[in-house]
Amino acid sequence: MDPAASTSPVPTPLPEARAYCPTTTFGKTHREGALLVDVREADEVAALAFDAPDVVHLPLSSFERRFAELPRDRELVLACAVGVRSLKATYYLMYQGYANVANLSGGIQRWAAKGFPVRGSLEPTFAAGGCCGGSVAAEPSAAVQGCGCDDGACGCEGGGCDC
Amino acid sequence: MNVKVLGPGCANCKATVTLIEQVAKAKGLDVTIEKVEELRDIIAYGVMATPAVVIDGEVVHVGGRPSQAKVEQLLGA
Repeated sequence: MDPAASTSPVPTPLPEARAYCPTTTFGKTHREGALLVDVREADEVAALAFDAPDVVHLPLSSFERRFAELPRDRELVLACAVGVRSLKATYYLMYQGYANVANLSGGIQRWAAKGFPVRGSLEPTFAAGGCCGGSVAAEPSAAVQGCGCDDGACGCEGGGCDC
Repeated sequence: MNVKVLGPGCANCKATVTLIEQVAKAKGLDVTIEKVEELRDIIAYGVMATPAVVIDGEVVHVGGRPSQAKVEQLLGA
């Protein structure tokens, strides 16, 4: 039997995706020019959206078709509701050769629960601090700014990490 | 023949594995079936939509449970 017939080519393994906590994501998007890429569907974004300087909405349902719209020359932080779909999108961009991408662990739920800025109505389960379904704090509390996490996977820098 | 089914372990992924096993057995084909369930390993094939089927390293089907006729065609049965 031809040995080649019984073997199967294995693709080049992808490295572990970089994971950012909300604190690091805030720093990257608000101070370092990273682009936040929200991969949730339109109805989810209409209900609750990230309030960041530069956010692109690219739903996972059209991600394969449209990913090339994303720039390769700046850092991208992928986000969704809880961080699962965006992890998929993060790996897909890595597969496509994007070198500077990261995933927001916990998604917009964790981001909002930590008091980072959002627009729209919050679910009662993570509306702490919000009022009447409106916008929540425009700035996070000082306690969660900066990040001192020594977990290499987090990629955090600074003090006060919530990861 | 090496067949990999890419998918996170959902019902459609399991059904795809079962269908390939059934077709291979019925046709008497020498097929090794592997499940690839880790997201990172799945996307290393360039696949986002699952289940997907890889035969001898080539992605031959993506984005759903294939029909029996499709599996028979893929396996050359």
